[in-house]
Amino acid sequence: MTSALLLATVMAAEVAAPVQVEVADLPAIMAAVKAPGAAAVLVNVWATWCEPCREEMPDLVRFYREHRAQGLRMVLVSADDEDQRAQVARVLAGLRFDGAAFIKRGDDMAFIDALDPSWKGSLPATFLFDGRGARTQSWHGLVTYDDLRAGVSGLLDKGKKPKKPQTKPRRE
Amino acid sequence: MKLASLVSAVAIVAGAAGAWAAESTGGLALGTKAPDAAAKTKMKNVDGKMLSIADVAGKSGTLVVFTCNHCPFAKDWEQRIVELANTYAGKGIGVVLVNANDPTTHPEDGYEEMQTRAKSRGMKVPYVVDATSGVARAFGASVTPEAFLFDKAGKLAYHGTIDDNRKEADKVKVRYLKDALDAVVAGKAPAVPETKGLGCGIKFRS
Repeated sequence: MTSALLLATVMAAEVAAPVQVEVADLPAIMAAVKAPGAAAVLVNVWATWCEPCREEMPDLVRFYREHRAQGLRMVLVSADDEDQRAQVARVLAGLRFDGAAFIKRGDDMAFIDALDPSWKGSLPATFLFDGRGARTQSWHGLVTYDDLRAGVSGLLDKGKKPKKPQTKPRRE
Repeated sequence: MKLASLVSAVAIVAGAAGAWAAESTGGLALGTKAPDAAAKTKMKNVDGKMLSIADVAGKSGTLVVFTCNHCPFAKDWEQRIVELANTYAGKGIGVVLVNANDPTTHPEDGYEEMQTRAKSRGMKVPYVVDATSGVARAFGASVTPEAFLFDKAGKLAYHGTIDDNRKEADKVKVRYLKDALDAVVAGKAPAVPETKGLGCGIKFRS
């Protein structure tokens, strides 16, 4: 096998890595958000057809990858229809996301208020919780890498260094 | 500064502050009237005529729904919105559907597509362009679809989503907007005056 072919095979394997997407109702989603063991939890609500959501997602996933060693957990909640599960998984596999991924099922209002009563339900939206499950910050609309970095400051395990960024943050 | 200029400058600042307050609290407060400037803003209807929310106000109440063409949430609810709009327009409710999205970023939300949708969906009520997104901003609207229902006194009686099941119309348990419309037509306060639903963020013009 040539090195080029080997590289292509490895890359294809990475892209094709399966992502588990669970169709879940509010209690299961909030259990994943508030489960003990994380220093901070980022929750992002998105949809595959939502352009701004797709725009910010690479930064979100990169931020998660660079900070999970410091105790950051990420929970992605898609507002796609349940029959779009394969498409949701494909998008997340393309980003090599390996955190918790859900498609939301059930009442919108309870879901919105559980994440943030001041949120009106527009996509995308991102919420930051501390390790005790208390919400510390919300972004209704696009969030940037710098927003996230400022948000988690003080929450993550300072004894561990963040993984060196792979590329320069897009919105600096 | 002349007095007239000062007065208009103060009015502009007050108007901006009002719009900000509406957005920061998640929209107009229940019991308040639509901001006067927004209610009188002329908007282009799909039939080419210019009209304002004040122009369409009904004797029993007025329903303003911020919606659009491209958003999957708005599409899922579209037929139900049109049915409610057409039905209650015949019951003394003035109805207007408002598209505040910027078609330069979302071409599907352009005027011609609005005309096509109005025809294909059988809209019997105005579907207008909020050309600066200023009406949506003044209302504190943030998603599509988002409904604001005013009673016959012009006070906000209901604000929120359409019903409790966007995807499956036959599985709806609570018809929030329809119940609110029935209450307002009867001169009563809706039992559930505020709701929320997931939706596409309004693509405000900059």
